[in-house]
Amino acid sequence: MLEIKKIESGYDKLQILFGVNMKLDPNEIVVLIGPNGAGKSTVLKSVFNLANIYKGKIIYKNKDITRIPTHELIELGISFVPQGRQVFNTLTVKENLEMGAFLINEKDLVEKKINEVVEHFPDLKKKMNEFASNLSGGQQQMLAIARALMQDPQLLLLDEPSLGLSPKVMKDIFQKIVDINREGAAILIVEQNAKQAVKIADRIYVLEDGKIAMHGDKKILKHEKIKHIYLGGH
Amino acid sequence: MVFDKYESQRLRMGSILPQLIVNGLIAGSIYALVASGFSLVYYVIKFLHFAHGAVLTISAYLFFVFLNVLGMNFVLALLLAIILAIALGLLINFVVYKPLRKRKSSNVVLLIISLTLLSFFTSFALAVFGSSTKTILLAQQNIIFDFGAIRFTIIQLAAFLLAIFLFFALWFIMKKTKLGKSMRALADNKDVAQVVGINPEKVYTYTFIIASFLAAIAGIIIGLDQNVFPRLGFNFIVKGFISSVVGGISSVPGAIVGGFFIGLAENLGIWVLPSGFKSVISFTILFIFLLFRPQGILGGKKDGI
Repeated sequence: MLEIKKIESGYDKLQILFGVNMKLDPNEIVVLIGPNGAGKSTVLKSVFNLANIYKGKIIYKNKDITRIPTHELIELGISFVPQGRQVFNTLTVKENLEMGAFLINEKDLVEKKINEVVEHFPDLKKKMNEFASNLSGGQQQMLAIARALMQDPQLLLLDEPSLGLSPKVMKDIFQKIVDINREGAAILIVEQNAKQAVKIADRIYVLEDGKIAMHGDKKILKHEKIKHIYLGGH
Repeated sequence: MVFDKYESQRLRMGSILPQLIVNGLIAGSIYALVASGFSLVYYVIKFLHFAHGAVLTISAYLFFVFLNVLGMNFVLALLLAIILAIALGLLINFVVYKPLRKRKSSNVVLLIISLTLLSFFTSFALAVFGSSTKTILLAQQNIIFDFGAIRFTIIQLAAFLLAIFLFFALWFIMKKTKLGKSMRALADNKDVAQVVGINPEKVYTYTFIIASFLAAIAGIIIGLDQNVFPRLGFNFIVKGFISSVVGGISSVPGAIVGGFFIGLAENLGIWVLPSGFKSVISFTILFIFLLFRPQGILGGKKDGI
């Protein structure tokens, strides 16, 4: 479904990735782990055309999507949840969701989508007219994910969805991600907090210094180095 | 004797108070009109668009030329002046600001450029029309409503009512329409706005259209109520800027409240001070706010609209 081929990218002159190869099949949950500064977020931003790609290709459903504008990517069914509970604080919950459907022009359809999406998020349903700034951290992250679901993504990119959340909320978030996956979306998660994320992963990639250091199914977790560095084993 | 002197002064003041309030509201609606567009650009795009003053000047001159020089009828002159003023706002954005944004120029550069543009258009007006003030002649201009204690012209009444109407329209656009919501989303978080598919440059274009429309209305009203002169835009953008800061620079309703606040303060101030002190009053208020309440009257409010 998604193929990242020898991507070299970064921000202006600062190169972060040095030839990253990754693959994602439909209905898969793939988790990308790695130390701080390895370039995990840049992988997602490269797919979503928010970083500068110098070399390599990104193929989505057999189509070359390297450097195509963000709004076209959304129309192709790719959604991105950026790092750090990114919501529109000065907009209400409902307005945040409307903005998630920015590219949909039929008002009725947007209403319908909002009603569908909030069915999955009972906490948000109760706070539709509150400013997003009044939500708890977990609720804001839920809202960021709900917003990404407004366009019916077939591929959902999540950048550290558990960052700064309590273990309980984290668990809820990962459960939601599994639910979204069961409804048919492929999911690519970047996580520093690997312990929780790898539990839901079908496959795992390890990124180090802008390159894929290792990949495979959960068996690679038994690898001493991974255990030690990413899963907090001593 | 001394008592009598103060007594008569008090009586005189008492009788002019209603008129001063009316004058304050009229000046306030003009300041608020200027400030609302200026502040809208700051709110959405985050830089000080002083060249907004150029749109004020040019719209007033255009209206004068169309109405009095070319002899067009009122509606046609008004429409053309507004359309061309909007075109000027868009031109400034496309030719000057947009390339600078692309180059990721700092706000200081944008500030200097926008002041340069303001000076350019002020000089341009001076070169083309000369330094003498132009009076826009309109048949209906002399209709005056006289209620004894207060009197105002039809232009002033129209300015006040139009300003109030436009502020409601602006509120409606920002709160209820998709365009307004996307402007607020962009003002709030540009990165996420792009992530949901909002094209910032497209929204900036609409922002300049709305702001320049407000500037054109303000410029034409100033031209009709007072006179048209090359420094018109400069004088009024300074007042608009003070209004925005006093009201809360990143808040559009704040700019409107600030406009009325400054308009009323200047006019009530001359109750006790000579009328030449109007600008001294507004600058004093600006200093007081910058020192003691830099966020302004409505600043710090979560919702910028």
